[in-house]
Amino acid sequence: MYWEKDVETMDRSALAVLQLRRLNETLKQAGRSAFYGKRFAAGADTPAQAGAAAGMPAQAGGKPAVASVELSDLEQLRELPFTKKDDLRNAFPYGFLTVDLEKVIRLHSSSGTTGNPTVVFHTPDDIDHWGNLIARCMYTTGVRKQDVFQNMMGYGLFTGGLGFHYGAEKLGVMTIPIGPGNSRRQIWFLKHLKTTVIHILPSYALRLYSFFEEMELDPREDLHLRIAFIGAEPHSEEIRKKIEELYGIKVYNSYGLSEMCGPGVAFECECQEGLHIWEDHFYPEIIDPASGRVLPDGERGELVLTTLTREAMPLIRYRTRDLTRFLPGECPCGRTHRRIDRITGRSDDMLIINGVNIFPIQIEKTLMAIPEIGHNYLIEIHKENFMDKLSVKVEISEEVFHGTLAELEKLQSKAAAALRAELGVTPNVKLVEPSSLPVSEGKARRVYDYRGGEEGGL
Amino acid sequence: MGVQLSVFLENKPGKLETITKILSDAGINIRGISMASEGEFGVLKVLVNDPGKAHEVLKKQHFTVSERNVVVAIVDDRPGALHDLLLTLCSEDINIEDCYGIVLEEGGNAAIVLDIEAYPQAEKVLAGRGTRLLSDSELYSL
Repeated sequence: MYWEKDVETMDRSALAVLQLRRLNETLKQAGRSAFYGKRFAAGADTPAQAGAAAGMPAQAGGKPAVASVELSDLEQLRELPFTKKDDLRNAFPYGFLTVDLEKVIRLHSSSGTTGNPTVVFHTPDDIDHWGNLIARCMYTTGVRKQDVFQNMMGYGLFTGGLGFHYGAEKLGVMTIPIGPGNSRRQIWFLKHLKTTVIHILPSYALRLYSFFEEMELDPREDLHLRIAFIGAEPHSEEIRKKIEELYGIKVYNSYGLSEMCGPGVAFECECQEGLHIWEDHFYPEIIDPASGRVLPDGERGELVLTTLTREAMPLIRYRTRDLTRFLPGECPCGRTHRRIDRITGRSDDMLIINGVNIFPIQIEKTLMAIPEIGHNYLIEIHKENFMDKLSVKVEISEEVFHGTLAELEKLQSKAAAALRAELGVTPNVKLVEPSSLPVSEGKARRVYDYRGGEEGGL
Repeated sequence: MGVQLSVFLENKPGKLETITKILSDAGINIRGISMASEGEFGVLKVLVNDPGKAHEVLKKQHFTVSERNVVVAIVDDRPGALHDLLLTLCSEDINIEDCYGIVLEEGGNAAIVLDIEAYPQAEKVLAGRGTRLLSDSELYSL
C-alpha cells in the first residue's frame, strides 16, 4: 500500500531532520536566483536575528549568486519573509530561476496575458520528483500497473494533465492522454478500453454523467471504473459522495498548485479523511492571512508552502491563498505526513471556473481595452448543469453607440472573444444600459458568486 | 430626410414604459415606433415630433441614444407598391438597415421609414422615380 514506505511512514523527528537538511539546501539553491539572491543579500528584507543566528554571509558587492541563509531549526523559517504571486509576476520571466537554461526542460504557466503570467520551470530532477509524487498518490489509493488510466485533465500549460501523465507512466500504468471534453468520446474510451482509473474535474464528472443517461448506459454496470481523482477546483464532501454514488467508485481528492509543481502536493489516502501533505517535498505552514502570523495547529488559515526539493525554481514561504487547516491526530493509514482539510476558499479574489483560475482584474483589464465598453461591469457566476457559468455584464459606452442592433451584436461577440482569449473560458457577455449596474461606493463589489456552499470563491 | 432616435434597451419588463413615460412627461409626440431585439437586449427606434428635445430628455435619464437619419417615403395605396419601391433601392444596391411602416392619417396614406446608411443616394434614387419623400418639417408636424 506504500509507494515509498520509508518516507511515507517516517518517524516525525526523522522527518524534521530531513526537512531541515532539505530546507537549507533549498535556501542555498534559492540564493542563486536573482530574486532570492537580492533578498538574502539585502538582509534588511530578512529578519536580522534569523540571518545573524544562522550566520548569513555578508555579501559585499551584491553578487547575488552566492547569497544564502542557513537555519539551525525549522521554526526559524517563520522569520523569513513570504513570497507572493506578485513577486513571481514582477520577476517574470527568469527572476526566480536558479539554474542555466540548458538545465531547464519544461515550463508551466498560469493562463492569461493581463500582466505577467506566473511561469514555473522544471529541471529533469524536478520532473522526476513530481512524477514520483503523483505515482505515490496514485499508488496510495490502490492504482497498480495493470490499471487503465484515462486522464481527462487539460494537457498543456496547465499542470493537471501532464502532471498525472508523468506520474501514471512512472507507476507503469497504461495512460490514455485524452484530455478534457468531447463527452461521447470519453464514454466510448471508458467503455471499450475498460478504463479503471480517471482523473477529472469534479464538475465535469457530474456533467459527464448526464451523457451516460442520454446514451442509455449505466457507469455502475457498463464500465470497469473503480477510482477517480478529482481536483483543480474546490468541492464539497457532498459532491464527492455524489460522484462515488453515481459511478459506483472511490473518489479521491487531489491538491496542488503550479507554483509548487502542480498536482501531487497533497493527496487523500485510502481513509479519505483529509489530504496528506507530502512533507518530504514541501514544508507547510498555516498562517493568519491578515497578520501573517503562524497559527496553532488545527486553526483554519492560509496555507503557506516552502519547496524542499525543487531545483529550477525553489520557493520560500509561498502564499498559496488557499484556506485550510491541519487535521489533528494520526491517520490510520500509518503515514506520518500531516493532513490538511479540503480547501474551503481563498484569501484573495481568485475565482475558479470549471478548474480554470481567473482573477477579476483580468476581466477588468480586458473590458477596459474595448473602447465601446463603459467603465462599469459586473461578474456573475452560476451553476448550470453542474458546470460553472461565467457571465459578464457590461455597460455600453454612450459615445460610441450608433443606434443599430448589428453593432451591439458585434460588440457582444468582440467582448466575448477578447475575454475568451484572456481567460481560457468563454463567458456569456450581457450588454446592459449605462448606470444600470450598482454604482461603486468606495470599493465596488463586482463579483457575485451564486454557486453557493463551499464551491464559491467569494 | 428626417431623424429618428435609436435607444439601447435591455429586454426586460418595464423598459419600454420608462421611455414612453419620459417622452410623455416632456410633451413629445411619438409618430412611429419599432423595436428590434437580440434576446437579452434590443434597440428601440422611435420617430417623434421633436427629436432634439427627446434626445435630451432621454440622455438626462441615462439612456444610450443615437440619432439616425431616415428616409420616409409615401407608399401608394395599391398592391405591389412597396415591392416596387424596394426593388428600386435593391437594383441600386442600396442596403436597408431596417424599416417599418407608419400610417399618415386614419384611412389615408401609409409611409415607410427607411433606415439606410447611404440615405443621400437612396433619396436621390427614390426622388428620381417619383416617390414622394417627406421633408423633416412635414415629418415632425404629422
